[in-house]
Amino acid sequence: MAVEVAIVDYGAGNLRSVRQALIHLGVHVTVQGDPDRLRGFSHLVLPGVGSFRRAMELIRSRGLDQLLAERVAQGVPLLGICLGMQLLAARSSEDGETQGLGLIAGEVDRFAFDPVATGLKIPHVGFDAVTPVAGSRLFSGFAQQVDFYFTHSFRLRCGAIEPVAATAWHGESYVAAVEQGVLAGTQFHPEKSQANGLKLLANFLERF
Amino acid sequence: MTLQPTWCRHCLNMSTRPRISFDARGWCNACQWMEQKADMDWAPRQQELRTLLDRYRSSHGGFDCLVPVSGGKDGSYVAYQLKHVFGMNPLAITVRPALSLELGDRNLSHFVASGYNHIHVSPDAEVMRRFNRYGFIEKGFPYYGWLTAILTSIIRTALNFDIPLIFYGEDGEVEYGGSTETRNRALFDIEYMKKIYLEGGYEKVLAMLADVDPASLYFWRFPEPAELEGKELYLTHWSYFEPWDSYRNYLVAKEHCGLQEKEEGNSGTFTNFAQNDQALYALHAYLMYLKFGFGRATQDAGIEIRRGAMTRDQAVHLVRLYDGHYPEEFIATYLDYYAMSQEEFDAVLDRWANQDLFEKIDGRWTPRFEVV
Amino acid sequence: MAKKRLVFTLLYQQGAFYLSRNFRLQRVGDLHWLNNNYRFASIATAIDELVILDVSRQPRDLDVFCAMAAEVSANCFMPLALGGGITTMAQAETLISNGADKLILNTALARNPELVRELVAIYGSQCIVASVDYRREADSFAVYVDQGQERLDCPLARYLADLEALQVGELYLNCIDRDGTGQGYCLEVLQQLPPACHLPVIMAGGAGNQHHLLAGLACSQIDAAATANLFNFVGDGLPRSRDHLLDHGIAMARW
Repeated sequence: MAVEVAIVDYGAGNLRSVRQALIHLGVHVTVQGDPDRLRGFSHLVLPGVGSFRRAMELIRSRGLDQLLAERVAQGVPLLGICLGMQLLAARSSEDGETQGLGLIAGEVDRFAFDPVATGLKIPHVGFDAVTPVAGSRLFSGFAQQVDFYFTHSFRLRCGAIEPVAATAWHGESYVAAVEQGVLAGTQFHPEKSQANGLKLLANFLERF
Repeated sequence: MTLQPTWCRHCLNMSTRPRISFDARGWCNACQWMEQKADMDWAPRQQELRTLLDRYRSSHGGFDCLVPVSGGKDGSYVAYQLKHVFGMNPLAITVRPALSLELGDRNLSHFVASGYNHIHVSPDAEVMRRFNRYGFIEKGFPYYGWLTAILTSIIRTALNFDIPLIFYGEDGEVEYGGSTETRNRALFDIEYMKKIYLEGGYEKVLAMLADVDPASLYFWRFPEPAELEGKELYLTHWSYFEPWDSYRNYLVAKEHCGLQEKEEGNSGTFTNFAQNDQALYALHAYLMYLKFGFGRATQDAGIEIRRGAMTRDQAVHLVRLYDGHYPEEFIATYLDYYAMSQEEFDAVLDRWANQDLFEKIDGRWTPRFEVV
Repeated sequence: MAKKRLVFTLLYQQGAFYLSRNFRLQRVGDLHWLNNNYRFASIATAIDELVILDVSRQPRDLDVFCAMAAEVSANCFMPLALGGGITTMAQAETLISNGADKLILNTALARNPELVRELVAIYGSQCIVASVDYRREADSFAVYVDQGQERLDCPLARYLADLEALQVGELYLNCIDRDGTGQGYCLEVLQQLPPACHLPVIMAGGAGNQHHLLAGLACSQIDAAATANLFNFVGDGLPRSRDHLLDHGIAMARW
């Protein structure tokens, strides 16, 4: 099947840049928020900006939570970006306790290190180094440390090794990317990470 | 034969510039002077200035120094220093150029209003026009009449008001890469002015204007030696006594003298805060370009590089982009002023274009060289 | 630790881009000029972030601004921050939906902190950059709003502490005295930051060349060096600057 990407539009976030990046890679892209019309796509991308709680409210109210679980179960690759990756997890404490989509075993909480003691800042904003896990499909062809663009105050931690595709460190170790079966996610913004980001998106399209 | 010009390795001054010289590193004399300025002890010169000023400072309310100004940054800065820092009583003087620009007029008003006594000399406009026209055709100096008047009429005024000190701004030769003759000399005289600033053409011009009523030439005559006898008259450059920094002048003039900039960059350069007083300056800069291969952007780039604001690599792009702009926006004005047709005007430009540096392509003189 | 950033700022007004000198504007050129002399598609990889500010002194047209921003950033895959005269939620929404990853707020911080709180609540701290314009005075610093025209009574140090409390994401500190002068950043202002300030600091005002950018990024308190000097970096100025920073050991992102 030809590559047909849908960016899931649930009313939160800047879809434009993701769309531009995918178009730049030469694939056909649709922005779609209606669960009934999210069929027939080869890949799905779940973006996200803003609060976890608000995002889950919007997703649930549109029935997208069920829709995404179905598609994933059917084997459609799904890439969550930034908040989009966090939404794949079990829960987050951002803006009050909220259940996530539960597709990945992991929990999202605010960075817990002491900014005063470490001299590091929250939100974590800027390009930072990511260490891919050996054998990761998302990071195929990358070096041992790669720079991507981050902008977040909350981060994912996974209990198990299995979903972790890359780690990073900002005052503490945290999960920078996940991959598990058809699921993938990046805490960083590939569409904002220059050539590195474009290459990772290409990996998602080709290897998932 | 095509000339192979070279460029200063530090700024972008071109080897074609009259009276330029380079050291073993390929740095021009303006850049060498820049280094000297930073290293030398200015205290003796500062003392020289104070001594000079103390000697002539007026105790009876008369003017003790004369400062040529145009309303632009440099004269304004010098006047400001003399009045507010050194407690002198300067008389500012402007020689009205032909084709003055509205921004320039406004800047001059603001300068005067910021608190200076000022004399505005308006030499006979028709003589000015003939003189300028002659200079344009015969010397490639489109405002030759004005260039002469800013020397002669100022000396005249100084004599008439019994003002012994005349402070010009910067010594262009020393600051920008010309003769280093006056680098260590405070004062200069009329003979030097004729030789360097008027390129030795003064007497010939006066001869050309022999049919003009002498009364109309009052402001263009240097005093005879006899007139100067027994009079104290010191002509000096402010840049001798203090490290010259034209950007600093701009900031001071902006803050204290009401200087305003143009809303766009000036023709042939990327700056907007200098030489805003007369339309003929753009033509002067263009002729300089045709004669020597460098224009306003090169000059401005040199200033930026020497004051540490820009690197040579950065400046090269700007010079390639802006230097040598044909002053399209003023052509109609020039033709009307000089009473020339486009063809006659172009013929003058053709006469001055250095064909070793330029070739004519589609009616425009185009450089054979690339700034490197 | 996040890499240090090189930020390029474009000053836009009514269809053209400007150079600012002590907050006085000189028109440089339109989009055509920008494309010819900057070729963003190829030099975008030299910078970490692009900022575009609408510095119009006249009524602004947000739609035209957004269209321009979209065109400029067309093949740039890096963070984009947009701002200039944001006074309403609707304007913020329009900018975000037109590609802004971050919003730059200035006068609103002083005149409409409630709007700032709302924006932080909806878009998150990381989306809000607090732009602060200041001037040096005898022995302290004064804050100015309204494009540098209105001086606030609140001294800079206290203002910055208040901004931390507002939960903005970053600080964009711009020195009016140094703006456009090419004399380098006013590094003394760093002493005005609240102790243990956790906000990333983007330094602006006075950077004319790679040496100034290096001096800025060499300071531990500075996270990003910004320049809006549209003349000085034409052609390959930005790539050269990035190389200079890397050659001198500044941890910059690589791709």
